[in-house]
Amino acid sequence: MKKIFKFLLRRDVLIAILVVIAFLFILLSSGFSLVSSILIDASIFTIITLSLNLETGLTGVPQFGRVIAIIAGAFAVGAIPGRIMALFMHLPAGADYANDAVNYKVVPVINKLLESNPALSILVLIMSLVIAAIFGAIMGWITSRPAIRLKEAYLGISLLAIGDFLMWVGHNWEPLVGGTTAVFVPDPLRAFGVNRMVMALIMTVVLAIISYIIVEKLNRSPFGRTLRMHRDSDLAMSVYGKDKVKVRTRSLVIGAALAAVAGGAYVIYTGTCTAISFTRLNWTFWPWAYMMLGGIGSNAGVVLGVLALAIARSMIVIYRGSVFGFLMNWGIDPIWLEYTLLGAVIIIIILFLPQGLVPEKTETILPFERVKRIYEKIIKKK
Amino acid sequence: MLSIKNLYSGYGKLRVLYDVNVEVPKKEITVIVGPNGAGKTTLLNSILGFADVFSGKIYLDGKEITGTPAHRVAQLGISFVPQLGNIFANLTLKENLIMAAYTLPKKEVDKRMEQVLEMFPVIKEFFYRKAGTLSGGERRMLSIGMGLMRNPKIMLLDEPSTDLAPLITKEVMRTVKKLRDELGLTVLLVEQMAKLALDIGDNAYLLVSGQIKFKGKAKELLQHPELSKLYLGIKE
Amino acid sequence: MPGWLASGLVYASGLALTSGGITFLYITTRTFNFAHASMATFGFYVVYTLVALKGGNPYIYFPLAFLFGSLLGIIVYFILNRPLLKRKANEITLMMSTLGYDLILLSLIQMYCDYLTHTYKLYPRRVTMSVYDIKIGGMNASTYFAPITAVLIITALSLFLTKTKFGIAMRATIENTPLSEASGINSDKIYLTSWIIGGGMASLGGAVLAMATTGSPVLGMNLIANMFAGAILGGLYSIYGGLFGGFVVGLAEYAIVYWLAQSLGTWVLGYRLAIPLLIMVVTLLFFPRGLAGIQWKKAFKSLSSEKGEAS
Repeated sequence: MKKIFKFLLRRDVLIAILVVIAFLFILLSSGFSLVSSILIDASIFTIITLSLNLETGLTGVPQFGRVIAIIAGAFAVGAIPGRIMALFMHLPAGADYANDAVNYKVVPVINKLLESNPALSILVLIMSLVIAAIFGAIMGWITSRPAIRLKEAYLGISLLAIGDFLMWVGHNWEPLVGGTTAVFVPDPLRAFGVNRMVMALIMTVVLAIISYIIVEKLNRSPFGRTLRMHRDSDLAMSVYGKDKVKVRTRSLVIGAALAAVAGGAYVIYTGTCTAISFTRLNWTFWPWAYMMLGGIGSNAGVVLGVLALAIARSMIVIYRGSVFGFLMNWGIDPIWLEYTLLGAVIIIIILFLPQGLVPEKTETILPFERVKRIYEKIIKKK
Repeated sequence: MLSIKNLYSGYGKLRVLYDVNVEVPKKEITVIVGPNGAGKTTLLNSILGFADVFSGKIYLDGKEITGTPAHRVAQLGISFVPQLGNIFANLTLKENLIMAAYTLPKKEVDKRMEQVLEMFPVIKEFFYRKAGTLSGGERRMLSIGMGLMRNPKIMLLDEPSTDLAPLITKEVMRTVKKLRDELGLTVLLVEQMAKLALDIGDNAYLLVSGQIKFKGKAKELLQHPELSKLYLGIKE
Repeated sequence: MPGWLASGLVYASGLALTSGGITFLYITTRTFNFAHASMATFGFYVVYTLVALKGGNPYIYFPLAFLFGSLLGIIVYFILNRPLLKRKANEITLMMSTLGYDLILLSLIQMYCDYLTHTYKLYPRRVTMSVYDIKIGGMNASTYFAPITAVLIITALSLFLTKTKFGIAMRATIENTPLSEASGINSDKIYLTSWIIGGGMASLGGAVLAMATTGSPVLGMNLIANMFAGAILGGLYSIYGGLFGGFVVGLAEYAIVYWLAQSLGTWVLGYRLAIPLLIMVVTLLFFPRGLAGIQWKKAFKSLSSEKGEAS
């Protein structure tokens, strides 16, 4: 009995319980659609933060350019699947596909075809996500090149600047994803007889679960141990014969592929690809906050961190009018509190909770029971 | 004047000193010798607060100073001359001396500077040059001069013979002797060059692997049949 | 004077001040101050508010902007930087903490803009400060006053760091902190002073930058990568390097964009971030110690030595 009580009083368990209560509360007060949009958002960011945790929490690379891989996936899905469909349908598929006036007419025609064809929709969906993963992996490889020479804060700043730059490229180069006017993304989620939101929910949750399994398996594998060696002392790791460059590259490529899939899923879900929306704030800094809250190095912590903060963020939106409404007396829009929340979370974690909610446990290679048995065997033999 | 009692110290998780007891009497040269890695520098670092004191106490003239921040320790009259990084290479010699006497009022500083320049005329020669341009021996002289600027009660010297030619080393040791004989200073001298140090020292401690293995008069340690051979490489 | 140079000098001076501040904070406290972004924006809004509500030219409020920045610096030192330095936190943690501070400042700036719009019917989210500028000989005075401000700051710093006891103590602490502490210098006071100076330079730099670019709540956010590029080019070794690096990055950006726009068309304007980015990456990969790492004396000697003269 006491054990159960102690379990319930653990920090992470308490937060998890609070999260569940919050979800129920939102469900009862605002309905299923809000809950599902929060869950979709949380699933996408779970994938992104898990990928960040892989590169930063596990491998020790300061990934302040997480948005790069997300952009790779999002832009790839915004630019390519639609054009492939257009090509087959004898519609404009070149540079002008992304032109405002053209795109506005072409994509609905594509969508009509998809709507009536579940098999084609599944094909397009999978193809889109695969394309996203490929481009993400390529981007991951490219950004791993500076990561060889640069260290710590310098690497972080460089990656951050590259991410900014890619956003501006997308915003200015119209043939890519429509520049300032964005492109529509073909919608494969309508063909299955259920509400589109439900399909999006299923897609993102499934992707999140798959991502979790992937990173957990990596975490517990010898590769995961190698990554942690790199994080704790890459010099010692080289002494043991592991190639520092290969390790870093692999980690960055896998992480980028995952994040790119999330980016691709996001644009499929929203149906558009708007370059300027891929800001470092939303797609790098928030994931960092999620990861820090959850506990750097712990995947379960990531999920908890994402859920807890996603709910906190949505609370601000929901109670914009009521609880935070008093700010309107001075003309202040409460939505800015989102930034305050983000900054405050980062500061509070750094000052008071640097381990996060779920601290990383030092792992035994073998399960304890086996260790015990081996020990007894050897002692008995003596 | 300086008392170190039951000191256990190190750096973070690294434990270096175990139950070290050292007494530094007034107006005498107390020498700490021992092999490399014994913890001699850690002992001095512990007094300044640069090393972590796990347990034990340090007293200056009866007052406890364990854990006092370094700049306060300096203000209390303890002058530390480190082994490496003991001058400000990017500052001129004049600025170095001014920094060394940071805690003193302006009039005092001028007075001290005159005295130090008298004792180390070489500093006057290069007064406006950047300290980084000096040779090894000159730097050593400057660092000891800086230590003196503070009008200290006690000087802590960490291996002043490091990187110096034998002739210059003798010069340095002569200077250390002068500190006691002419200026009446108390000196805690940590040295690798055991024989040279014990020649001018009054009291001696042998530090091996973080523990005191000998405590007594310097002459005794010099003539000790086993220890001097075993740890200090001193031939008969 | 060509238009691009007139604005370019202003922009470069502002960038110089901010890059110098970032460098100064890094060499003293090992902290890459991400909050420089919003501190710069704050400086702009101090000047804008006073000019819009009280009138006068922007320059009389520049000192106030500096003071405000110093205040912001003092706050972050006591709340964040000092406890973390005591804990011997690593550089990433130090940088992240300033990021958190920056985001809170940003939220306050945004709310302040809402407040200004609501209460004073102003439009603070898209400000062209040159409207408030005074004219000298048909040109905006900023072309002269911005570089003058930068020069004033450089002069003041130089005097402070070489002629005052505390300034020399700062240089000593930057070079060798344990030795300075053993000399009786309280590094706590040194760090606090560097935040006062660095914060002040950030806000002053923001006020200057606003004279050349559009004033908005994200003024600093948009330029923080450029500020870091300037600091990195300078070599993160001396504050003068940072000032110079920032100036070079700023001027290069304006000059290159102007020249490219002339030959290729105005579409290049959208990609201007490529220039500081390229400078930063090239510096980090090939000249990691930046401009400070180049042996200027040796370079000049080899250029001016005569035939047959031994080096």
